[in-house]
Amino acid sequence: MTGTTRRELMALMTGAAAGVALGGKAIAQGAPKRGGILRISAPANPSSLDPATGGAGSDHAFLFTMYDTLTEWEFETLKPKPGLAESWKFSDATTFVLNIRPGVTFHDGTPLDAEAVKFNFERNKSDTKSNIKADLASVDTVEVTGPMQVTLKLKNPDAALPGILSDRAGMMVSPAAIKASSTGNVARTPVGAGAYTFVSWADGEKIVVKRNEKYWKPNRPYPDGIEMSIIPELATGARSVTAGQNDLMYQLPPRQKAILERASSIKLANGPTLYVFQIFLNWAKPPFDDIRVRKAFNFAIDREAFVKAALAGLAEPAYMNLPKAHWAYDKSVAGLYPHNPDMSKKLLAEAGHKDGLAIDLVGYPDQDSVQRQEILIEMFRKGGMNVTFKNAPIAEASAAFFGAEKRASGLLAAWTGRPDPSLTYSLMYTKDAYFNAGRAPVPAELEAAIKESRASEDIELRRKAFATVQRLVMENAFVAPLAFQFELVAMNKKVQGYKPNLLGKPKYDDVWLES
Amino acid sequence: MARRSPARVIGGRLLQALPVILLATFMVFALLKLVPGDIAVTLAGDNATDARITEIRKLYGLDRPFLVQYGSWLTKAAQGDLSQSLLTGEKVANSIGRAFPNTLLIVVIALILALVTGIPMGVVAAIKPNGWVDKIVSAIASLGVAIPGFWLAMILVAEISLKLNWLPATGAKSFAVSPWEAIRHALLPGIAIAAYGMAEVARQLRGSLLEVLSSQYVRTLHAKGLSMNRILWQHGLKNVAVNLFTIISVLVNRMLAATVVIEAVFAIPGMGSLIVRGAIQRDFPIVQGVVFAMVIVVILVNLIADLLCAAVDPRIEQ
Repeated sequence: MTGTTRRELMALMTGAAAGVALGGKAIAQGAPKRGGILRISAPANPSSLDPATGGAGSDHAFLFTMYDTLTEWEFETLKPKPGLAESWKFSDATTFVLNIRPGVTFHDGTPLDAEAVKFNFERNKSDTKSNIKADLASVDTVEVTGPMQVTLKLKNPDAALPGILSDRAGMMVSPAAIKASSTGNVARTPVGAGAYTFVSWADGEKIVVKRNEKYWKPNRPYPDGIEMSIIPELATGARSVTAGQNDLMYQLPPRQKAILERASSIKLANGPTLYVFQIFLNWAKPPFDDIRVRKAFNFAIDREAFVKAALAGLAEPAYMNLPKAHWAYDKSVAGLYPHNPDMSKKLLAEAGHKDGLAIDLVGYPDQDSVQRQEILIEMFRKGGMNVTFKNAPIAEASAAFFGAEKRASGLLAAWTGRPDPSLTYSLMYTKDAYFNAGRAPVPAELEAAIKESRASEDIELRRKAFATVQRLVMENAFVAPLAFQFELVAMNKKVQGYKPNLLGKPKYDDVWLES
Repeated sequence: MARRSPARVIGGRLLQALPVILLATFMVFALLKLVPGDIAVTLAGDNATDARITEIRKLYGLDRPFLVQYGSWLTKAAQGDLSQSLLTGEKVANSIGRAFPNTLLIVVIALILALVTGIPMGVVAAIKPNGWVDKIVSAIASLGVAIPGFWLAMILVAEISLKLNWLPATGAKSFAVSPWEAIRHALLPGIAIAAYGMAEVARQLRGSLLEVLSSQYVRTLHAKGLSMNRILWQHGLKNVAVNLFTIISVLVNRMLAATVVIEAVFAIPGMGSLIVRGAIQRDFPIVQGVVFAMVIVVILVNLIADLLCAAVDPRIEQ
């Protein structure tokens, strides 16, 4: 289920700010003022409002309003910055010390201290329903080393931890609320320390939050509250903003851009994200068990044309799992697969498919996915491949492809990337990883390079490790990346201060409403 | 044959409903389980390993045999507990309680509109069959049947909501809180569904009226010197009432089904949206609950229609 979910955020981007070029920005005008209700059209009902037991990447847009995280990130670069933890440091390679911000309380009045943080770590690591155990796999023990200090002993060096703590694993839940809950979680009764407190959640309909009057950040939040209406049909959601029933909608498909630009009441914001459309390949079985076929497949794709035709130009052609702006982007890898249908045919002939090759893929049945498929089918035809798609809903298609059934040779979906790529790579390109559909082995040097990328805090060492990883993945053509999608947000003119972020999951930190 | 009391008729019907509910919920449950992909993958979250998904299946009882799972749902349902969403933990009865009024309001509005427009159309068409009025009515009726509801819905939104700003484009409001706002929100979706209903009512009514009007006893009424108006409205309509009730019951059921698409277009959190969400996420307690509720509604609608038919035409009871 990579299409819509994206969980950990692995941000360790110290010194990576340079060279990041952001796209459009919404810049606030005038002095921010308090008041008003921000009305949002959200595309999906959350899976849970408990950060530990939920699973969908679309949950974050709700969770971020109610839960603050131990670390936060810079919007443009995803570089970690202090959050509920004022500061942190690796006192040695396997000891990670967090200093908790004093004076913060949860919505229910419980103090947010070292004990509360320890409680959260231990729950996230061991609760049977916790979906974030893997995020904290490197954490061995959690110790309270001061009233406001927590020390993590690690099993192995893990340079990705500061990034991990800006996501679900760093969202602090009130221990008192967990202990009081009969179900052992706060899926329907969230109590965090975020800018807004929970009011109500009607499934598939609406989530309402109101301002946390005791919020620790000065003067925040500006609005009195947020109402998030759940409207899965994206065109309908866009209409609700055009008609003035909602103020803001995120995750708009690119095709809506031209329509919304004609609406005078609307302004748009967009910016790059790490969300990449790609075709996952099963290289354990024919035809993709042959590296020549995988390469032919990659040469057949005209990525520039794909961006224009399928994504209204609101994307960056993808030649690997990282966009240009990323600190670990390796320019030399980008040149491996220029669009070259003749090369495709030549490679196919070498692999014994002189008269063309039939390839069966799976995909999703929504309008945008089908349009992307049609464009790709034509490109592959010119490269000597007769590609057919069998479509199924996201849960079914991904379970059939990645799960036990091993249906089809490839899946057209998306990878909701992580700013720190170490998890991206270990989840897709190690033997037995879930997103390595065939669970087939990869070159030993690739596994080693992935491990190395997480071992050191030193940015240059990590950059080198990722360059090796990236080159090996693409030289083996284990995947066919297509394009990095931009985040597209439509807003009412009275919404001020909204900024897109590289993660692509909205945060409303500086948003205020003009009356 | 002796007349049966209405209470016995109703009791008998409700008893007959039991196997229908069993069969319908069992079939839907079976279908959901046959379709590949299950909610464990969603529950386990992104990045989940096979082992974690297996663990989740165990944790939520999804690894139990199919019949055991159905049985445990059924036992609870029989005790009035529709259990809760596997994903979000909301009680299914609460979800339905919130969604059903939204759907009901749309269907009621659509039905009223269909009858208010369809009945006069059917009657005027039947007065002079194959006359120009009849031809116009037939043309409108054909259009009404042919135009897809979702298309009409989008045109209505574009013109009436977005351009003229007369009615809201999306969402629903609670009828209990503010009836006027609720109706304003439900009007466009109601119209979108009503188009088909209007056409169906007009066509069926015209057909049945023509049959009645060509009968011997209407000839006698003419001979007695009754005016065409009196024959039509007094005798004609009464005789087609049975057909009309049958049409209405079929229509209500079809309109309930049509809300699945219409609710998506208007972002209305009704029964249609609920079952779609449940089905897509394989959240079977939701799907089961909605099917359960819908079967009961359909059976009730049919029962009411039958009782009404029996009231106007005593022959039917036997």
